[in-house]
Amino acid sequence: MTRLVLEAKGLAREYGPVVAVDDVNLSLGEGEFLTVFGPNGAGKSSLLGMLGGAMRPTRGHVLIRGQRLAYSDVEWRHQVGILSHRGFLYGQLTVEENLRFYGRLFGLTDLDQRIPERLERVGLADRIRFQVRQLSHGMRQRLSLARALLHDPDVILLDEPYTGLDPSAAGVLRGVLAGLRDGRRTVVMVTHNLKEGLELATRVAIQVSGRFAWEGTQADVGGEAFERHYHRVVEGRS
Amino acid sequence: MRTYIDQIRAIIWKDLVLELRTRERIAAMGAFAVLAAILFNFSIDTTSTRPEDVAAGLIWMTLVFGGLLGVGRTFYLESQDNALLGLLTSPVPKDAIYLAKTLANFALLFIVSVLVLGVFALFFGLDLGANVGGIILVLGLGSLGFVALGTLFAAISTGTTMGETLLPILVFPLLVPMVIYGVTSTGRLIAGRPFDEVEGNVRMLGAFAVAALAAGAMLFRYVVED
Repeated sequence: MTRLVLEAKGLAREYGPVVAVDDVNLSLGEGEFLTVFGPNGAGKSSLLGMLGGAMRPTRGHVLIRGQRLAYSDVEWRHQVGILSHRGFLYGQLTVEENLRFYGRLFGLTDLDQRIPERLERVGLADRIRFQVRQLSHGMRQRLSLARALLHDPDVILLDEPYTGLDPSAAGVLRGVLAGLRDGRRTVVMVTHNLKEGLELATRVAIQVSGRFAWEGTQADVGGEAFERHYHRVVEGRS
Repeated sequence: MRTYIDQIRAIIWKDLVLELRTRERIAAMGAFAVLAAILFNFSIDTTSTRPEDVAAGLIWMTLVFGGLLGVGRTFYLESQDNALLGLLTSPVPKDAIYLAKTLANFALLFIVSVLVLGVFALFFGLDLGANVGGIILVLGLGSLGFVALGTLFAAISTGTTMGETLLPILVFPLLVPMVIYGVTSTGRLIAGRPFDEVEGNVRMLGAFAVAALAAGAMLFRYVVED
C-alpha cells in the first residue's frame, strides 16, 4: 500500500433541502488516479469543491497526508491544484503574466525557471507572450493545467477537463494529463465522459444522487463492459 | 508578512494592468464625470446662485455616482473565467484579496476624483487657490471610504441576480456620514476658508475610511466563502 495522501471521511454537502454529496468516504495513496463518473447533478463537482477547499462541507472532513484540514487553512491550497473546465485565467493578460500572477499568490520565488518549464510540459512554450484571449480553448485548458501544476501540488483535482474540446485538442490534453501519472501525484477527476475518464484511471467510482454507488478498478469491470455496468448502476440508484 | 504584502501587490498589479488594457472602468467613470459636470453647469442659474456655493455637493454626487460605475464592476473580470475561484483556492487570505481590490479601486477613483475637481473648477470657474491640496486630501479620503464600502458590497451584489442594480441600494445609506463631512469640508475649502477650520471634519473622514476598511476586511470572507 502506498502512503495515503488524500482522504475524505463522511463528506456531505447540502444546499438547503437538496443533498448534493452524501456521506462520501475515500482514501487515495501516492500515484493513484481516481475517476468519479456520474450523471449531471450527481454531486461530482461539489465533491471536488470540498476536496479542493473551495466549498465548506456540511458534514465530514478532508485529510491530506493524515492532517485534518480546516476550511480556512491556507496550507491546504499549497497542496492542491485544481483544473476546471473554466480556466481561472485572465484573457487580457499574457500566458506568462497569468502564471506569474498565480505564482506570486503562492509565494513562489523561482518563477523565471518554473514558468518556462511548466509551459514546456504542456506544449505552450512558444505562446508565452500571447494574451490568453488569443489562445484556442484547448490551449487555454493546457495553460490552466500549467497553472494548476505551478506550485507542484501533491493532489490534482480535475473537473470535467475535456468539456468543450474537439477530439484533437482532447487528445493533446489527454497526453498532458497522462504525464501526471508519475507515481508521485494523487489525481481525482470527475467526468461523465466514460471513455476519457477510464483511460487514465487506476480506480473508478460511480456517484449517483450524492453517494458513491460503486467503487472499484478497471479490472473489476473492464473495457466495454464498464459502460453497461455504469448504466446499470446509474439506473438502479437514480 | 512579506508574502501577505506581496500577495496584495500581485492582485493590485493584476487589476491595474487589466484596467490599463481594457480601460473599461476608468473610461466609464471619467466620461460620466465630464458629462455630469457639463450638465450641472447648464442646470444652475448663475444669476441667482453662486457656483461655488453648490459646487461641493455636485462634485461629491458626481464622484459617488461615477464611482459606482467602476466599483460595481470590481469582480466582473474575475467572473469571466471563474477566476474568482482561482483567487479563493489560492493561499491568499480573504482579507488580503479585499484590501488589494479596494486599493486598486482607490487608485482608479482617486484619479477620477482629481479629474472631477479639475472639470468642475473649469466649468464653474472655481478659484481653488492655496486650498487645492486640502481639497484633494478630502476627496482622497472620501474616495478611500467609498471604495472600502463599495468593494465589499460589489462582492455581495455580484453574487445576486440583481447585480449592479442592488449596489446603490446597499451602499448609499451607509455613505451619508461620509458625504456630510466631505461636502462640508470641500465647500469651506472652495470658499477659501483655512484648512484648520475643516480639520475636525477631515479627521472624521479619515476615521470613516479606516472603520470601513476594517469592517470590509473582517466581513469580506463571509461574503465570498461558500
